Amino acid sequence: MTFDVDFALSTLPFILKGLFTTLWVTVASALGASILGFVFEVLRRTSRVMGLLMRFVIDAIRSTPVLVQLYFLYFVLPFWGVVLPALVVGVIGLSVYYSGYLAEVFKAGIDAIPRGQTEAAKAIGLTRLDVIAFVIAPQMLRNIAAPMGNYFVSILKATPYLAVIAVPEMLGSALDIGSRTFRYAEPMLVVGAIFLVLAVAIGQGVRWLELRLLASAKR
Amino acid sequence: MTFPNILAGIFEGFGVTATVTFYGMLYAVPFAFGAGILQHFTRGWARLAVTAVIEFWRSSPVIITLFVMYYTLPSFGLTLSGMTVGAMALGLNIGGYGSQAVRAALQSLDKGQVEAGLALGLRRWEVLGLVELPQAFTAMLPSFVNQFIQLVKGTALVSLITLTDMTFRAKELSQLSYDPVGTYTGLLVAYFIVCYPATILGRMLERRVSTPARGLHDL
Repeated sequence: MTFDVDFALSTLPFILKGLFTTLWVTVASALGASILGFVFEVLRRTSRVMGLLMRFVIDAIRSTPVLVQLYFLYFVLPFWGVVLPALVVGVIGLSVYYSGYLAEVFKAGIDAIPRGQTEAAKAIGLTRLDVIAFVIAPQMLRNIAAPMGNYFVSILKATPYLAVIAVPEMLGSALDIGSRTFRYAEPMLVVGAIFLVLAVAIGQGVRWLELRLLASAKR
Repeated sequence: MTFPNILAGIFEGFGVTATVTFYGMLYAVPFAFGAGILQHFTRGWARLAVTAVIEFWRSSPVIITLFVMYYTLPSFGLTLSGMTVGAMALGLNIGGYGSQAVRAALQSLDKGQVEAGLALGLRRWEVLGLVELPQAFTAMLPSFVNQFIQLVKGTALVSLITLTDMTFRAKELSQLSYDPVGTYTGLLVAYFIVCYPATILGRMLERRVSTPARGLHDL
């Protein structure tokens, strides 16, 4: 079978419908992963035992494939009586997987803040939550905006994994077309092209942000 | 099926997982060094071309390049085996990331090193091979270990193009035994057993090259 350009173009509208799901899942997962990763990182610093425990949890998350984690959540949760839509399972899966990486990013961001900051904050009587929210978090975020942005791009690139648990994002839509028309070549290439454009555009955006933050930090 | 039986069944697919990883390395390592060194040395248009190739492999989601190569290339007259597609797609993706570690490590070396080498009468490529790369290698190592883990985890994807790796075996077992809880737990454990030692090694190497934290923030 030769490549049919007209057919490829005709798949575009259907696949672009999946783009909305792709972007939505990316934003939700980025948010979930950031929150979960930050909680892991803060817990890691509460006590020695928690430190060891959280490090194990983070390493365990990082030592297993996201595909396998998604299968696990998708097939095992219903057995435990937790029945969720595939989309929600997908967002949970990506959030958990990337929380392990973001926790490490947060660790580096917090380590770069001088220790006197926490000590001073405690000395003037701020509560633990105040220290985290008003002293640590804002300074940390400026340190790590660039690596965080890179992981958000990674999350975008991981969204096609959700096709394996039947979420109708872009790859899922392309596979759908393939199974209906028995032509996989064209929709696959269309999805590939869209992802390439998206990833490059967002990657450049992150780099621009990085340069601006570096410039403002120097001032 | 008891849990040890399930694990044994999953590890029957370990050979394929290891083979894809090995062939993937055959693409990743030369690509990482070749592209990284070229990017370090070239200027202007040549550098732009090298960067474009690297960015192509880094920016495309690996699951998409895998599917495009598997489904779209045959319609352009190029039919590759699942093993080749898996090794190439994963290897070049990881190699693209690795090239950035190579380039960054080369760029972080003191300029005086190259100048001293040239002043001693070494040729430029001798300086690269005898002076720059050996010193830069320690800085690349932690990143290489992390990329290796990404590669091993990435091989789970080849189960989607019909190779019988550990993930594929687990899916079979789960259908045979009607025990998704056992099999998918087993699959997580299997990847954990394979990757966790590498994760720990990566942490040790990271600690050796990273600058010490400015102070522990006990939150």
